[in-house]
Amino acid sequence: MMMFASLSLAASSIIERPLRSLLTSLGIIIGVAAVYAMLALGEGAKKEVEESLNSISTRTMQVWPDWNRRRSSQSRPSMPFTETDVIEMRSINGVYAATGTITGRSYTIATDRNDVDGNFLGVDPDQLKASGSEVTLGENISFADIETRRPVVIISEGIQQRLFDNQNPLGQSLKVNNVAFTIKGVATKADSDISFGNDDLFVWAPITVARERIIGGNRFVQNYVSSIRVVGELGADLDRIESEMDIILRRSRDLRAGATPDYRVISSRGWRERAAEQTKGISFLLAAMGAISLLVGGVGVMNIMLVSVTERTREIGLRMALGAQKSNIMNQFLTEALLLCILSGIVGLGLGFFMSKFAMKTMEVELVFSPTVALVSFGSALFIGVVFGFLPARRAAQLNPIEALRHE
Amino acid sequence: MAASSQIHPLISCQDLTKIYVMGKEKIRALDGVSLDIFEGEFVAIIGSSGSGKSTLMNMLGALDQPTSGQVTINGENVGTMRNNKLADFRNRTIGFVFQQFQLLPKKSAKKNVELPLQYRKPKVRDASERALHSLDLVGLKERADHRPTELSGGQQQRVAIARALAGSPKVLLADEPTGALDSKTSNDIMALMQDLNRQGITVIVITHEDDVAAYAQRVIEFRDGRILSDTRREAAA
Repeated sequence: MMMFASLSLAASSIIERPLRSLLTSLGIIIGVAAVYAMLALGEGAKKEVEESLNSISTRTMQVWPDWNRRRSSQSRPSMPFTETDVIEMRSINGVYAATGTITGRSYTIATDRNDVDGNFLGVDPDQLKASGSEVTLGENISFADIETRRPVVIISEGIQQRLFDNQNPLGQSLKVNNVAFTIKGVATKADSDISFGNDDLFVWAPITVARERIIGGNRFVQNYVSSIRVVGELGADLDRIESEMDIILRRSRDLRAGATPDYRVISSRGWRERAAEQTKGISFLLAAMGAISLLVGGVGVMNIMLVSVTERTREIGLRMALGAQKSNIMNQFLTEALLLCILSGIVGLGLGFFMSKFAMKTMEVELVFSPTVALVSFGSALFIGVVFGFLPARRAAQLNPIEALRHE
Repeated sequence: MAASSQIHPLISCQDLTKIYVMGKEKIRALDGVSLDIFEGEFVAIIGSSGSGKSTLMNMLGALDQPTSGQVTINGENVGTMRNNKLADFRNRTIGFVFQQFQLLPKKSAKKNVELPLQYRKPKVRDASERALHSLDLVGLKERADHRPTELSGGQQQRVAIARALAGSPKVLLADEPTGALDSKTSNDIMALMQDLNRQGITVIVITHEDDVAAYAQRVIEFRDGRILSDTRREAAA
């Protein structure tokens, strides 16, 4: 019998018993939906991890004084970091950018006509690079600016908007706490920058100028910086870089081996990985649910096919008497099981898609929908159809036509 | 017609024996039956239940194979055929008519009649026309689109006969074809068979009713797995 004939036969058999077919397919539908959601979630997690590995923020390590260090009469306060630390760290193999920053709290930034409260940072040329910012107008601060203590600044686009009406501010003058600077450039502001409110209002000045004329020095250390930020190159071994940073800091601070450091290195790569692990956990849960639903659904399909074979024993006997071969009968029932699973698979895919969309909105997880995802979850339904349809189909094909015809 | 075909019997049984094993008991359903049926004959096989007539019909219909002995139908030895060959052989050679009609209830009369053609190789291209022609032969062309449930018992059996004819078989093999019908309808069905036989089709009817057997030219009576009598008549009732 040709393909189309057994397909239409299977279709009519399913349509003739709509409720039974629907109930039978429920397990498969849920299973496919779960497998689909699982794969979409897994792909999403993979993509997120890949993206985060490429972003600057995951490759960033920040060094801060350890504020939580237990104070006692013996322990001295945290030693400040120095520009020398930064220069040494910049030369570590695999470092993309290393920058030292000094910052105070809030500053008044003013032109002749207008003023605004914003952030003021003393920086070196690596600052923008390390925070993912870009100069959109003019030039970056140079080492020469730091060396010769030129009173120049770069302003964020937020400042440009608020104080200069988005006009070109290059060469114009700007006062920070009444100290005059010339604007040298405009830069985008990256999310990862330290700020004290006013998230988009930033002024960056050469670190020496900022320290000596505005923020103030340290009594003990001439070239101190408040914090250090080190960014590894793409694919660099961040653990190795961090341990080399440790060596530099311990040496410059005269820490004995085994002594508790008075600083902390903070990086976001830990929690990114944990987040990915968590997603994997959810993924696994969905996979388990999908597998169990498919299994139960498959048993349901097998059960209903066995019932169908029993019900239609006489029909099978008749078909055999009229010339149907074992393979014809086998195909007929296998096609029916398969068609049931294909239809369930299609509904399951739709359900999985909307479930995933919903989950994406409510749980704020990223899901990726790819043809592979659809194909694999659909394939699992086909697989179930073949595996669990086989036994009933074989039972039908093994029937003896004489006995089957006499079946009541 | 009978004279010319007597040289080559259409069906030839040689010392047919069929033994069923039921637990420890061996039941000899057919016990050394030899018999020839010629092309164009109208044969009734009669006997009470357990006489072996159903077993013989299974052999003649290539549904079952003998424990020993030989069945040759249309020149082919049925006893040595494998499953698939047997199915194909049935499809081409035998047209079955059953006591319970055995129609598919959800399919139209025409679809039911087409059924044997579905399993024919190579594929039958004019299955629909052939089904209609068969329905025409039994006088039901107008009812082609009716489902079996919309037809009377006699009409259903006519559809079943049309189905048996659709594959242009050598033999029409009817197992108690009137068993589920009242006597008037029975007579109609048997008259139809007689008519078909006159058009040249070999008909074998298995029955336990003498009225039915009366339509045949030749009556073979079975008892205890053996042939009790084999009677030929020149003119049928």
